[in-house]
Amino acid sequence: MTPWTDRSGKFSPLKAAVLLGACLPALWLAWAAASGALASAAPVGLLGARPITEAIHQAGDWAIRFLWLSLAVTPLRRIANWPKLILVRRMLGVTALLYALMHLTLYAVDLKFDLLRIVSEIALRFYLTIGFVALAGLIALGTTSTDAAIKRLGGRNWNRLHSMVYVIGVLAAFHFFIQSKADVYEPTLMAGFFLLLMFYRLAHWRGFALTSPLVLVAIAVLAALGTAAIEYAWYGIATGVPPGRVLAANLQFSFSIRPAWWVLATGLGVTLLALVRPWFGRNEPARGRRAAGATA
Amino acid sequence: MLAAMPGHSLQRNVPMTFSIHRRPSWAISENQATPEGVYLDRRRILQGFGLGMLTAATLAASAGVGRAQDADPTADLYPAKKNEAYKLDRPVTPEEINGHYNNFYEFGTAKDIAANAQNLVIRPWEIEIGGLVETPFTIAFDDLVRKIPLETRLYRHRCVEAWSMTVPWAGFPLKSLVALAKPQASAKFVRFETFLDPEMADGQNDFLYPWPYIEGVTIEEAGHDLAFIVTGAYDKPVAKQHGAPLRLHLPWKYGFKSIKSIRKISFVEERPIGLWEALQPSEYGFWANVNPEVPHPRWSQAMERVLDTGELVPTQLFNGYAAEVAGLYTGMDPATLYM
Repeated sequence: MTPWTDRSGKFSPLKAAVLLGACLPALWLAWAAASGALASAAPVGLLGARPITEAIHQAGDWAIRFLWLSLAVTPLRRIANWPKLILVRRMLGVTALLYALMHLTLYAVDLKFDLLRIVSEIALRFYLTIGFVALAGLIALGTTSTDAAIKRLGGRNWNRLHSMVYVIGVLAAFHFFIQSKADVYEPTLMAGFFLLLMFYRLAHWRGFALTSPLVLVAIAVLAALGTAAIEYAWYGIATGVPPGRVLAANLQFSFSIRPAWWVLATGLGVTLLALVRPWFGRNEPARGRRAAGATA
Repeated sequence: MLAAMPGHSLQRNVPMTFSIHRRPSWAISENQATPEGVYLDRRRILQGFGLGMLTAATLAASAGVGRAQDADPTADLYPAKKNEAYKLDRPVTPEEINGHYNNFYEFGTAKDIAANAQNLVIRPWEIEIGGLVETPFTIAFDDLVRKIPLETRLYRHRCVEAWSMTVPWAGFPLKSLVALAKPQASAKFVRFETFLDPEMADGQNDFLYPWPYIEGVTIEEAGHDLAFIVTGAYDKPVAKQHGAPLRLHLPWKYGFKSIKSIRKISFVEERPIGLWEALQPSEYGFWANVNPEVPHPRWSQAMERVLDTGELVPTQLFNGYAAEVAGLYTGMDPATLYM
């Protein structure tokens, strides 16, 4: 099975597209890095005056984005009734691991591979420690994601081990928050998407049908409120920014659209997906453990 | 004509005298004359013939290399005489590099805000001097800059984010301005404040930050010769992204202490609280003296990344100015001096 064929060996456009998408950020980074090294006319390349720092940040951004995408597979399979999506979950997860490894490797490059310093920095700086633990977790999941490893562990154990991804997600988001300067817009956005993904799971586990638009809208609203709450709490606890001002900013759109709205928009977009789903011929019922009506 | 202006021609053609290390790539970039460079040469040639600025600007504009903002009414003050007392241990950072790596949140939180910073309107520009002084007054920048003789100094600049650059600043010691202001004996601190104009500076619409930017120093620090009011850089009026028309530079402190685009200077009894200190008191203190031994809560300050060369070099106590400034802090609690 190649990264662009399914289990029967047939070409899978879905897998091929995800493979391409997974490579694009790395290709862009390589090209941007080369632009700085090659350009003699402009002394500053696409990555700016501190290219390694910029590359570290971008690799980290992509690691968390791909991790979230891998977490989106399961709820989306249910919501869009698109079981084939499972084909790309492993690729998305491994891509997240590879970007996280690139993130650490670039950090090592930045410190000129001074191993003693790298280790002491990771041990001394809390946010680096957290990031490193998250990466170690990703490595554990990545190395147990081969067919052989799954078989060896057995489905039950494998699932138990891989539910570690939720803890890794929390650590990754926390790492993102504390490495930021005063402004935590992006980490808040990622935390909000994480909430959305977790609420889909929670709803399914509690027996709500992820095909019900009502359930999906409720999840979108709850995740958006949760995002605003996280933002409020972070500014209140970790910064000197009056958190009330941040909360109020959710209702002002002149400077920025706050993360909560993006989370809401995403949740509503997913609802739309569930609404148009029947028109695309995939009409087998996808239900929670309990019947949809039981909890209504 | 060259013989008539040996200083000028030398500084223009041999910028390498600024540095100890010589880097071929840097020499190349310096020699690739930018339009501004061409323009400045033009001006110098005209000055050599004794022609005025107006003529120079007109000619430059007609030649298509000058822009309206190049016709700075203080351009004739540069290059300012070099103060040889201030030397560097590393090359001067090329202007194109540090002109595109700036923390100037008024124009955006990214580093390359140079283009957006061009929205900064620097004329007319008045500076209000008040608080505990003999007589509060307001002075136009164009008048102030001609009241005190300008000089060029090579300074190291160390950002709290663990990167550094070197700049050929031009300006005058802050103490000359303090003398002009005539503070009363009760003044303990000098408080600096920049502009507040969210329409001009879109970053000031960002509600997270308690605008306007404020910074402060003790009256003793303000009286130290190293504390410098910058009005120029690279032999011309200081670029907008660096905080035109006048900014502070305190080379022994982390960069955020060196406030840009100063509008108000007040002499006060109470310690001012800067914008960053108000935001994150655990990370950005009032003193903010550079010390490699005292880490930032989230990273080590032991080393710094030098812009352009990309070298990772050890950070020095007081950013290498310990011999000059350590005396300012004798007997003070080291627990707060370095953050």
